[in-house]
Amino acid sequence: MFKDKAIIIPIQIAMLYLIYLAGKGIQNLFDLFIPGSVIGLLILFTLLSLKLVPEWILQQGVSFMVRHLPFFFIPATVGIISYAYVFKGKGMLLIVIGLFSTALVMALAGRVTQWMVKRREEA
Amino acid sequence: MNPALVALFMIGFTIAAYIGSLHLYRKYRRIYTTPVIVATAVIIVFLLLFHVSYETYMIGGKWIDRLLGPAVVALAYPLYQHREILKKMLVPIMTGTTIGAVVGISSGLLLSKWAGFSTEIIHSIVPKSVTTPVAMSISESTGGVMPLTAVFVMIAGIGGMLIHPLVMRYSGLTHRIGRGVGMGSASHAIGTAASMERDTLEGSISTVAMILSAVIVSIIAPGLTLLLL
Repeated sequence: MFKDKAIIIPIQIAMLYLIYLAGKGIQNLFDLFIPGSVIGLLILFTLLSLKLVPEWILQQGVSFMVRHLPFFFIPATVGIISYAYVFKGKGMLLIVIGLFSTALVMALAGRVTQWMVKRREEA
Repeated sequence: MNPALVALFMIGFTIAAYIGSLHLYRKYRRIYTTPVIVATAVIIVFLLLFHVSYETYMIGGKWIDRLLGPAVVALAYPLYQHREILKKMLVPIMTGTTIGAVVGISSGLLLSKWAGFSTEIIHSIVPKSVTTPVAMSISESTGGVMPLTAVFVMIAGIGGMLIHPLVMRYSGLTHRIGRGVGMGSASHAIGTAASMERDTLEGSISTVAMILSAVIVSIIAPGLTLLLL
């Protein structure tokens, strides 16, 4: 149907942006703590599940964004330079604490899930 | 200089840094050659070298930042593709994520408390394992410093992406569903991006864990903080 990726992908990203705006609107309207982007994700998931939106309408743009997800984090990550001073001297410990706590969460949350999933798969 | 030109240059530079690091990663695949890390490092070095402020960079950077919202919305698609298995494994995923939320809050809080950091810093580190906008609003409501929280969120995200192969190896985390829950609970969207690169099922599980974690942490963080501090 559509052949030119250079046209179709931006259009589909614009559609995703509209869904995001709807999510933000809902968040502001009800003063929710869940971010607009996550509400948008739930909206799109619901639309797809109820077959209100066929997959082909968004597929290329969505796949493109998911594949290049890390790209969109770059500006936020660069922001670390503004707070580098916090981690001078004793502040270094905060990085160690952050990493240790992250590793702990990953290992425990993952292992508990893995154990429960394997039990289910065997049953 | 014309702000539109600055914006165009910064966007172009960011895209070039990303594409360049993507090529490097394809040729030389290491954890520390992950595109976000290399591209971020290149941009930071450039900014420092030419004395360009972060604010100036963000004249262009904010346009990319603005696409972060729709990029998160896009995660609905892989989630939808894996809906059957998600439904079947919802209880293990929820249990694992809840444990992750409790462990993340209490370990961050207790360790920084024992190390003698100010309550302001402690409040800022508590919500580090959830996605930035949620972490910021939790931090704001408990008395943390919002920009500092954003940095801790980055440490959990980028750090988790860097150390996850090691953590998974030594903790025996081999199952795709377990890995997804671990990544999403510990390292939010950055962990999810790393998971998605390996496997779309693991990435989708990570997406679910990230969302659940955001909800659970924002509900339990204020109470748990009060209890442990």
